[in-house]
Amino acid sequence: MSKSGMPKSMLGRLSTAAARLRRQPDLAFGLVLLALVLLVVLFPGLFTAHSPLAINVDKAMEAPSSAHPFGTDDVGRDVLARVVHGARITLSICASALFAAAAIGGALGLVSGFIGGRIDMLLGRLIDVLLSFPPIIFGVMVTGILGPNTINLVLALTVVYVPLFFRIARSGAMAEASLTYVEAARSIGMSEPLVLFRHVARNVVPVILVQCMVLFPLMLQIQSALGFLGLGVQPPTPDWGAILQQGKDYILLAPWMSAFPGLAILVTALALMLVGRGLQRQMDRR
Amino acid sequence: MAIYLAKRLAASAVTALLASLVVFLLVRSVPGDVVGQMLGQTSDPVAAKALREFFGLDQPIWRQYFGWLARVLTADFGTSWTRGQPVLGMIGAALAVTIQLAFATLFLATLIGVPLGILAAMHEGGAIDRTVQALNLLGLAAPVFWIGLMLLVGVSSGFDWSPPLMYVPPTQSLFENLSIMALPVLSLALLQAAAYSQFVRQSIISALGQDYVRTAIAKGVSTRVIFFKHLLRNIAIPLVTFMGLILIQILGGAVIIESLFALPGLGRLLLSSIETRDYPVLQAGLLAVVVIAMLVNLAVDLSYRIIDPRVRLS
Repeated sequence: MSKSGMPKSMLGRLSTAAARLRRQPDLAFGLVLLALVLLVVLFPGLFTAHSPLAINVDKAMEAPSSAHPFGTDDVGRDVLARVVHGARITLSICASALFAAAAIGGALGLVSGFIGGRIDMLLGRLIDVLLSFPPIIFGVMVTGILGPNTINLVLALTVVYVPLFFRIARSGAMAEASLTYVEAARSIGMSEPLVLFRHVARNVVPVILVQCMVLFPLMLQIQSALGFLGLGVQPPTPDWGAILQQGKDYILLAPWMSAFPGLAILVTALALMLVGRGLQRQMDRR
Repeated sequence: MAIYLAKRLAASAVTALLASLVVFLLVRSVPGDVVGQMLGQTSDPVAAKALREFFGLDQPIWRQYFGWLARVLTADFGTSWTRGQPVLGMIGAALAVTIQLAFATLFLATLIGVPLGILAAMHEGGAIDRTVQALNLLGLAAPVFWIGLMLLVGVSSGFDWSPPLMYVPPTQSLFENLSIMALPVLSLALLQAAAYSQFVRQSIISALGQDYVRTAIAKGVSTRVIFFKHLLRNIAIPLVTFMGLILIQILGGAVIIESLFALPGLGRLLLSSIETRDYPVLQAGLLAVVVIAMLVNLAVDLSYRIIDPRVRLS
């Protein structure tokens, strides 16, 4: 035990992590940005005292000032408050859809790639067809079918992402299934499900998790695009895409209504991209 | 070559057939139908029944599908249920706009992205490289519709100009057409140029580490010749693949950009036909998207052979 009370191996690990970060300034910068975004998500009260929903028509479309740093919207709501409180809504929608898709697509892909044969061929074909639609068009269709509200948006984004995760998990499982250790596990009489879940899955799941980070920024883009088209979260709930949709009609009169939620998307996507790429690079190095 | 082409076309036809089924089922699962939209809340059941019979909506779904498929195979896409115009003409007119948008974007993105990527790769690790990379990241992180909105604000406050609101086809007035298309193309192109330059940079850097480049340098071949004769030819294949991917991505981005800038393209047609439950238009439009994506992929594969004679298509 060292003085700080931490086991030495943990200290050692922390210092190697710090050394790694020093070698990857992009990843470090991304992590700082991401920490900031998480702070906004967890403690919106730290960043604004205004309510995102309080209407004040007398103060409609005021330009940014010290009282309202991001200005006010067409019904006098504080744009900063809407952007800050929107972070939690927007990002939790993206994260839920991402994890649901990773779980469903990942599990299906693992099993399909591992068993192979006719089922795999059929599923693969179907997934190819689904992937031949550009994701936004697919998302527009599914939200159009389900109707615009928050839960349906999560469902639609999940449906759009399942084929992507299916493909990643399937190719991972196919590659693993041909390795010697799988053959060895089979030769000692391990059952197929056990080989799949105890060995193959363990090697594919980290790949899927990294892909979650890599695909997150794209998810944010699609989520906000659907919101912008009016197919996502409905007003007055503050969601970044939805705020942009409301700001669109006043773009020349009150550009701040659109500028700041867009910047929020940009900064978040940037943070996620930097972290995702950094993780992938770490993974490839191993 | 002919055999390969026939095989590919046959495989594409199977995928298209599957896609048509997916499209049909997707479209039919949209809640509510065109009759409800037309008659509204105060619908009289007799009229509703007559209209459903007229549109064939009273038939079992498999019969509706095969009926539609049989007509599509004879290039009969029917008539729009809400506008009464032939669907084929509507799709054609919308496609003309979207294709112009897509190719103009591809052109501009290539023009910006490729030189930037080359420049960054040539100065790998230096200040120019880092600047280009930072710009790429910003371009990729910014939502495309937000770029469009900010460009609108920029040109209206900077040049006191805003694009015309009514679409004009290039055959009518090329100047007016270009002034309408300028901002949508620029917004899409900035995003794609970022993706492009990143890709070009990465391809060149990895090609520079290859043996043939080292051999050429050792032989004393000039940098220019190495670049144009060896490098460019070797990164051409991944580059063409990438162009295909971008073209398909632009198709998706067009949905948002067209609705922002009020361009009467395929994306807007799809959105409006979902709203009005105009099945024939929606089905044909989605099928068009899938078929275009397939054709682009086929063109990409075929171009491999032209670029690299070693590639055998089989």
